[in-house]
Amino acid sequence: MKKVLFVCILLVTACMLFAGAVAEEEGDYTLPDNVKAEGTVTFWHAMSGSKTAIIDNYAKEFMEMHPEITIEPVYCGSYAETVTKGLAAIKAGKPPVLLQSYEVGTQTMLDSGAIIPVYKLNKGEFDFSTITSPIAKYYSVNGNLYSMPFNSSTAMLYYNKDMFKAAGLDPENPPTTFDEVYEDSMKIMEAGLASGGISFGWPAWIFEQMHAYHNTYYANNENGRNGQRASELLFNEPLGVKIMTEWQRWAKDGVLSYGGRNYKANDPFIAGEFPMLIQSTSSLAGIINSADFEVGTAELPCIPGYEKGNSVIGGASLWLLKGHSDEVNAAAWKFLQYLSEEENAVAWHKKTGYFPVNKNAYDTLMAEGWFDTDPRFRTAFDQILGGSDSTAAQGVRLGNFVEIRDIVSVAIENIVVNMTDPKTTLDEAKVKCDQVLSDYLSTVE
Amino acid sequence: MQTTFKSSKWLPYLLLSPSVIIVFIFFIIPSAESLFYSFYRLNITGTRKLFVGFENFTRLFADPEYIDSLIRSFLFAVIVVFGGLAISLGIAVIANNKSKFFNVYRTLLIWPYALSPAITGMIWALMLNPKIGVVSNLLYNVFGVSFNYMTNSTHAMIFIIVAAIWKMLGYNIIFFLSGLQMVPKELLEAATIDGASSWKRFTRIMLPLISPTTFFLIVMNTLYAFFQQFGLLHVVTEGGPGRATDLLVYKLYRDGFISMNTGYASAQSIILLLIVVSITFIQFRTGKKKVFYGN
Repeated sequence: MKKVLFVCILLVTACMLFAGAVAEEEGDYTLPDNVKAEGTVTFWHAMSGSKTAIIDNYAKEFMEMHPEITIEPVYCGSYAETVTKGLAAIKAGKPPVLLQSYEVGTQTMLDSGAIIPVYKLNKGEFDFSTITSPIAKYYSVNGNLYSMPFNSSTAMLYYNKDMFKAAGLDPENPPTTFDEVYEDSMKIMEAGLASGGISFGWPAWIFEQMHAYHNTYYANNENGRNGQRASELLFNEPLGVKIMTEWQRWAKDGVLSYGGRNYKANDPFIAGEFPMLIQSTSSLAGIINSADFEVGTAELPCIPGYEKGNSVIGGASLWLLKGHSDEVNAAAWKFLQYLSEEENAVAWHKKTGYFPVNKNAYDTLMAEGWFDTDPRFRTAFDQILGGSDSTAAQGVRLGNFVEIRDIVSVAIENIVVNMTDPKTTLDEAKVKCDQVLSDYLSTVE
Repeated sequence: MQTTFKSSKWLPYLLLSPSVIIVFIFFIIPSAESLFYSFYRLNITGTRKLFVGFENFTRLFADPEYIDSLIRSFLFAVIVVFGGLAISLGIAVIANNKSKFFNVYRTLLIWPYALSPAITGMIWALMLNPKIGVVSNLLYNVFGVSFNYMTNSTHAMIFIIVAAIWKMLGYNIIFFLSGLQMVPKELLEAATIDGASSWKRFTRIMLPLISPTTFFLIVMNTLYAFFQQFGLLHVVTEGGPGRATDLLVYKLYRDGFISMNTGYASAQSIILLLIVVSITFIQFRTGKKKVFYGN
């Protein structure tokens, strides 16, 4: 028995030494001048389905233009899986060159010590101001861009025009406030046209959206954007409680049909179970294609009496990871620039419904008459370009955001499904989230 | 020739070394690493570590979510192990009646075991899909139950229990069958002549004689219920709705790989290990008294 114990202690000590050796130096990186861009750029992404093919195609076209560079796109599963694989590879010392991370991973990636900020690669050949402003702001720290925005979306209101018409409502006049959402839903439900009024995709994200949209902070230190990391959540303040109280009232009266945490609410909306849906703009193409009714889009409904903010950027961005030669970094930088070129951004938007990251793409799309053929693709632009750019409206940046969003999702489920008291539930969730943040901060500061 | 073998005192070690190496690489080292990390809080890349002592453990037991998950996992394990074994034994006894197609049945019965947990999940998810599922439609039309494992917590739990039992059924039946085949015919015949009913023969002769098999299966099924549910959960419910199907393994995955809380997840894995070790230990202790290995 003693021997076994001894061996165990020996092993644990060995592991400690091993783990100690892994810790690496964090340093500033600058791309030397006149480096030849060449080599293999591994690119791990989470773009499934038809989007995989689009990315493969980008890589192919780029390689035809730059034969000395090889781009290797690898589909790694969901966002969470992709980030997990990327981090495991970083730990193992074999990171990919480019890693796609979802927006909630932003603070974590910033603090990982494993990335090279993209602004450091720029020798003046790329004008960062061509990137659509709210998107660039989301991924910037102190005005410097850290990761290259790629697929960006936001949330908007989808509604069933046929049902609005049938209920005697004006299909061109969708609800703009919470109260109107409730009233219109009731009219449609009373007419027996649907069993519910509205549902949400990504409820916790919509809750975040609502804060930014009403120009209210979700976390302290100006949403973690004033140069200091956020250390406290503010979603249990009056606005948060007000939103949750409204949602609960909707749920009690059958107006809100809870539809799960991601895209599950799309199907019942398409099937006509309720006339309205708040969902990511990236679902637009899919919803239009599958619905056999006329789909309308509108800006998010609001609660009157608050300053107008902006809806928040969702989606993902591309991070350059440390651990590769200058040549490969230069090659990756070339590829990133290529992806944000105007025509690629335009094509990406048309095929997916995501925002084009290039500002000029908007004008091109206008000139082409793209929005005239389908004005529904314009709603998201109007919403995001017409809003404020205050730190409250830029959206929150949190360490370990994934876990925090998970805690908030459970709180929302408790409020709208199990009908717990909104204020108490949010207070409890805040305590949990603050603990997560303080744990996070203890490992980075 | 014999002397050459005798003289080498290293030969046994050499022959043992492959399994020892495998156990070391895949079990001892990772476990030691988990133990080590369970006393730390790490940043996501593992480059910064903060020694926190037993805080990960004390926090676990102060976390109502973890306690819920613990209770849920035990409940799940008890139902899956005993429910599963009872059903398998029943089927095995029926299949054991010498029939023409014995070999065909036996092959068919082991099929579910050949499927991966994720595929099992997909099959059941399709059958129980609230809208288009065959079984859920049957339930609705015949019994008026609208089965929806996506929004109803109880339904979700029933779903994973049923799928988990079904998945292990083939494995259990095969072992029970071979156990039943080993029961000497003479004993059963003698009992019949003495006027024992078929129930008496089953409880007094068959059950004691297959007790080693039963014991082995209880151990295997317990390990299965605790450790091998990840694929099923990940494909079907992702621990939801809410936390309704959040078993220990899934909570561990969520905390460790989604939230990147390596220290906290390591502490959970250590506790999970201790739980299974102690259950197995208790089973072996009680097994000694109850299991009859013959002579």
